[in-house]
Amino acid sequence: MTMIEVKNLKKSFGELEVLKDISVDVKESEVVCVIGASGSGKSTFLRCLNRLEDITDGRVIIDGNDITDKKADINKIRQEVGMVFQQFNLFPHKTVMENIILAPMKARGVTKEAAKNKAKELLAKVGLSDKAESYPNSLSGGQKQRVAIARALAMNPKIMLFDEPTSALDPEMVGDVLEVMKQLAVEGMTMVVVTHEMGFAREVSDRVLFIDHGLIVEENEPNELFSNPKNDRTQSFLSKVL
Amino acid sequence: MEAIIDALPYLWEGIKVTAYVFVFAIILGFIIGLIMALFRLSPIWILNWIAKIFIDAIRGTPILVQLFFFYFGLNSFDFISLDRETAGIITVAINAGAYFAEIIRAGIQSMDKGQTEAARSLGLSGTQNMRYIILPQAFRRMLPTFTNQAIISLKDTSLLSVIGIADLTQQGQVVIAATFKAFEIWLVVGVMYFIMIYLLSLLSSYLERRFELR
Repeated sequence: MTMIEVKNLKKSFGELEVLKDISVDVKESEVVCVIGASGSGKSTFLRCLNRLEDITDGRVIIDGNDITDKKADINKIRQEVGMVFQQFNLFPHKTVMENIILAPMKARGVTKEAAKNKAKELLAKVGLSDKAESYPNSLSGGQKQRVAIARALAMNPKIMLFDEPTSALDPEMVGDVLEVMKQLAVEGMTMVVVTHEMGFAREVSDRVLFIDHGLIVEENEPNELFSNPKNDRTQSFLSKVL
Repeated sequence: MEAIIDALPYLWEGIKVTAYVFVFAIILGFIIGLIMALFRLSPIWILNWIAKIFIDAIRGTPILVQLFFFYFGLNSFDFISLDRETAGIITVAINAGAYFAEIIRAGIQSMDKGQTEAARSLGLSGTQNMRYIILPQAFRRMLPTFTNQAIISLKDTSLLSVIGIADLTQQGQVVIAATFKAFEIWLVVGVMYFIMIYLLSLLSSYLERRFELR
């Protein structure tokens, strides 16, 4: 079953055409990694999937809902699409627990009690049960990112989007975050991950998209793409990062 | 010294009026400021335009002229009858509101965009984002600037004596008219304003500590 359907997606910032013509499908439980140089448009592509960026042209269909449709209830659709940011974007005036339960209570109408129980479960899952009453600024980068993942998961999303989730972390923190993501992948979450972690892409993903200058230049299963890239630009990119 | 002690009950009456006018004006001014700030940031051009005109008009004219406009100007219509206190409160409130609007707008705009993106990506609406994420953080940041404006507004209330409101300044004048002790009474009146403003800044630093950004 197709969870994400992108058809001829185009995105321009003024005169600058960032995404030229992107079409791709992501199936349920599939893990897709998006790689490419900075400025290639990979983050913009991801941000179009929950319409954090306005879509210039083309269609994006999330679990059967066309989010490019003006009548689409975007808040409702976003509840099904969790997102994790490079800069974590935790709410600094709220405790870890409050960060996690806010959206389930206010957007989904879950009771505080149920939201808290779910939050405790998720904090245990990301290994931060003892941090429920802490404020985000007292956490390390890796801990913040795991809280951000728990916060997104608290909405029971069908899809998770990751925008360079480990790029702002100290090297020794990266492993913990990738471990949580790997666990999610094993549990069958549909995931789109923009990343520079080639090891993660290779090990965890079902498919890798290489984006360059706003186009998907090459896509393949990870072993094939990393060992035997067909496109010149893919070869040149991989030779620099591997 | 005796003159001062005799004057205290009169001045105390004035302090009560000043405090009453100030509290009402500052609360009303804050509400006006919040609404105008949200108008100013609204994508709806007519709201934007209303807020811009309001803010420019108030900031671009002296408060004394505004006071005369609201008290004498509006009261020159048969169907309007504003008493002194109401006209005074409206003047100080609207004046503070225009400045509050700019403070709040700047505070909201200074927030990291990532906060809104995180909130919206979780499915929270634009209004919920404002209410639970942006405003609580922005207000904490704005507290020192709010205090500044509150202090200015408190001092502005002394202008209301011009239309005969029996505030601290007016009571001082009344006492001096009867006793001719201008030096002593204006000194005491000044000290009394100073104490009120000092208490206000104490309240503000308490609030700043209480709601410290973590």
